[in-house]
Amino acid sequence: MPLSRTFLADLERIVGADGLVHSAEGRLVYECDMHTFYKGAPDAVALPTRAEQVVAIVGLCRRERVPIVPRGSGTGLIGGAMAPLGGVMIGTNRMDRILEIDLPNRCATVEPGLINLALTREVASRGYFFAPDPSSQMVSSIGGNVATNAGGPHCLKYGITTNHVLGLELVTGAGELVTLGGKAAERPGYDLVGVAVGSEGTFGIVTAVTVRLLHAAEAVKTILASFTAIEDASEAVSAIIAAGIVPAALEMLDELMIRAINEGTGAGYPKDAAAVLLIELDGPAAEVEAQGERAARICWERGALEVRVAADVAERALLWKGRKEAAGAVGRLAPTYLLQDAVVPRSKLPAIMRELIAIGARYRVQIANVFHAGDGNLHPLILYDDRVPDELERAKAANEDLLRACIAMGGTVTGEHGVGLDKAKNLPFQYADADLNFMYRLRRAFDPDAIMNPGKLLPSHPACGEGFRPARPRVPDGAWI
Amino acid sequence: MPVAARSIGEAFVTIAGRDRVRDDDDARAAAAVDGQVPRWVVRPASIDQLSRVLALAQDGGLAVLPRGAGSALELGNPPSRADVVADLSGLDRVVEYNPDDLTITVEAGIVAGALATLLAPHRQFLPLDPPGAAARTLGGITATSASGPLRTRYGTPRDLLLGVRFVQADGVVTWGGSKVVKSVSGYDVPKLMVGALGTLGVLGELTLRLHPLPDSERSWLILLESAEAAQALVERLVDSPLQPNRIEFFNGRALRLLPAEPAIAGVAVSIGSVADAVREQGERLSAMAKAGGARIVPLPEGFWSAAESALACPGGWTVLHVASLAGRLADTAGAIESAARAAAPRVEVRLSGGAGLGTFRALVGDASVAETAAVTTRVRARVAELGGVVVVARGPAELRRAVDPWGPVEPGPFALMRALRDEFDPKRVLNPGRFVGGL
Repeated sequence: MPLSRTFLADLERIVGADGLVHSAEGRLVYECDMHTFYKGAPDAVALPTRAEQVVAIVGLCRRERVPIVPRGSGTGLIGGAMAPLGGVMIGTNRMDRILEIDLPNRCATVEPGLINLALTREVASRGYFFAPDPSSQMVSSIGGNVATNAGGPHCLKYGITTNHVLGLELVTGAGELVTLGGKAAERPGYDLVGVAVGSEGTFGIVTAVTVRLLHAAEAVKTILASFTAIEDASEAVSAIIAAGIVPAALEMLDELMIRAINEGTGAGYPKDAAAVLLIELDGPAAEVEAQGERAARICWERGALEVRVAADVAERALLWKGRKEAAGAVGRLAPTYLLQDAVVPRSKLPAIMRELIAIGARYRVQIANVFHAGDGNLHPLILYDDRVPDELERAKAANEDLLRACIAMGGTVTGEHGVGLDKAKNLPFQYADADLNFMYRLRRAFDPDAIMNPGKLLPSHPACGEGFRPARPRVPDGAWI
Repeated sequence: MPVAARSIGEAFVTIAGRDRVRDDDDARAAAAVDGQVPRWVVRPASIDQLSRVLALAQDGGLAVLPRGAGSALELGNPPSRADVVADLSGLDRVVEYNPDDLTITVEAGIVAGALATLLAPHRQFLPLDPPGAAARTLGGITATSASGPLRTRYGTPRDLLLGVRFVQADGVVTWGGSKVVKSVSGYDVPKLMVGALGTLGVLGELTLRLHPLPDSERSWLILLESAEAAQALVERLVDSPLQPNRIEFFNGRALRLLPAEPAIAGVAVSIGSVADAVREQGERLSAMAKAGGARIVPLPEGFWSAAESALACPGGWTVLHVASLAGRLADTAGAIESAARAAAPRVEVRLSGGAGLGTFRALVGDASVAETAAVTTRVRARVAELGGVVVVARGPAELRRAVDPWGPVEPGPFALMRALRDEFDPKRVLNPGRFVGGL
């Protein structure tokens, strides 16, 4: 439903002509995030510079019942920052200031459009960093990280975005500007910050974020171990954890991925390797030294082909190079792929790898794997060629079987990318009607008219907009007589 | 309504069995909260029974007070009504323990001490150590968001709760979160249940993240001449590459009760890691303390449990929880002590707390309710100037009637909190009146 001329004029009055995009070509830029499967251009894009403008936009949209879609850098992988129902997209890119660096209290307050890495760069010289490190951290915005509760390779030790957010300024779907949490942790009342982080823009739009800053570790050690069987590598992962070592990162690549990377960037992994394990330890030097030796010994004991230890920053970068270029390298194997983000309990890694091979065979698709082994977060890439008839269909079917297999093993459908449009339909695999109903009602407290990013995160229910209605338990008969 | 009351009691018996429903005077009096005597004490044997108890209570317009070990009954406002105490101590099973995954799922009535015993052979632990933790239920610790010195390294219940099964006020059993260490599937419902005092649902089952026990652990106490010196030391420590488990501040009054020499202020630090790293970090900590002109003494094993017992809340005393800014240790400690003195000159304040985080536990005693109320009000005002908040975590009912135990919540967030409470418990079945703003 195109927006009326009056509406556009009102919008322009709020954000100015340079803050409004409504030409067809201009809007096209915003039709999808990095999950290019899902396309839907907004009817207009507003680029506010201040929270008061966001309040005014939400107020206007609420009055006219126009859907709102928040967007940061658009690097999400879930069909989140796109507008399936049209409406107004609010881009936070022009709200990218650092409002305060407060090192004595080890926190910073920033606007949502600030790029993740820009914050670490600002405080690095004083020995601090912002811990969440999604692979997109050079381009993704902190507001986007908050919306999706982003993780990253180093969240095994440091936790995901939610563990680092102290406070939020939020314009709710009701158009209220509220400050939640703050520099002092542990406030009385419900943990509204905790539940707003990861709400994917369905509660409102974040206009400022107060985050924790951590002190950088003294020493870092990166170890790369290659194995001839993925079971051996998985056992090494379990043994490392069982030894009481919590690495900063623990990443694994499977055979197909190793081949793609070797052919591509020439990371120089051993040719016979069926699994590569990348272990990064950080902390006080003596601890890193001792634990590094122990981790390397565990890898040798589990039959590693080779164990390499990076001696300096340059060597560390080399060991990480293959891992970081993994998604690009699979381009050599197939023109395109579906990326999954499911999680299994770490101890189920060997079992899910066997299952993945079976699923690949069943649907005649190749599946390459790169994953955060330390927390069981899989990133299988299901390869397909959309020029081959029905290959996409087979890839989708494999994808769904894979998710169900992860859930059956006690896992979850998304570990760090988020739900968006892509996985909303999969939440019922994991949650019962009562659980989803609770989430619908939770959202209503923040966004009573369901105008914030509609269609995302929660599955739609055909029967009613209210969501699923759970059955109440039976009360004994005759209690009231 | 004597007839209806009898039949409701019979309905509870139908649900839970005769031996799990008490309505005799002794049982009722023992379960009273702030003078409110319930009509029934029901001890469900399963989440299913709990669910049916709540459904019945909601239909009957009854108020239910969930109870774990009964350790935190003096937190919050006195309940406005109390018909049923739901004693959850019978829900104490381990549902699933996966040592390889460092996760465990337990029923909420299990006590932390029993869990620790179970985990120790696997060299794992749940790093939640609020005062008296060993005898507290994990449901209670979670519902009150209780933490202790280990929060410095491992965080609070919000950082450790992965999944939660709870029973809504209408009896609907609901699950939120996941059983794995990393998940962003849907809203982070576990966060909402932490610290909610059971007002959005009664906790039935918890999936928790565990940590490996460090190979070796040692502790030191640094004795200082002022809170300012303590702050300077803590700043150097936090800005260093050292990784302590605990950084706990003690004021002079608290120090006197510890197995330690007297001083104006003390900071106890523990470091857990591989043995070499503990030794090496200990040396660096010593150098740091001495560079600042402070004395440092190694602490014996068992110091932390001794400190916990020594600083337990004596009968009739009050516990204030102060959450201030991480970098305002000296200002906050000073504000608490001076505000307390100004309000009641002879009051004693024993202060301890997470020095790197700005969280304090103030034991306030030897004072009348009126004096303690004046202390609370004054401390709250001073701490607010620093950007912090003060909660009465424990204290007599008269005190919690005289001052708002939670303190003010900003209107914006409070409106959202009320909306959530109205949505999930419109009839105020669960802990009516006890939560922030009388919710």
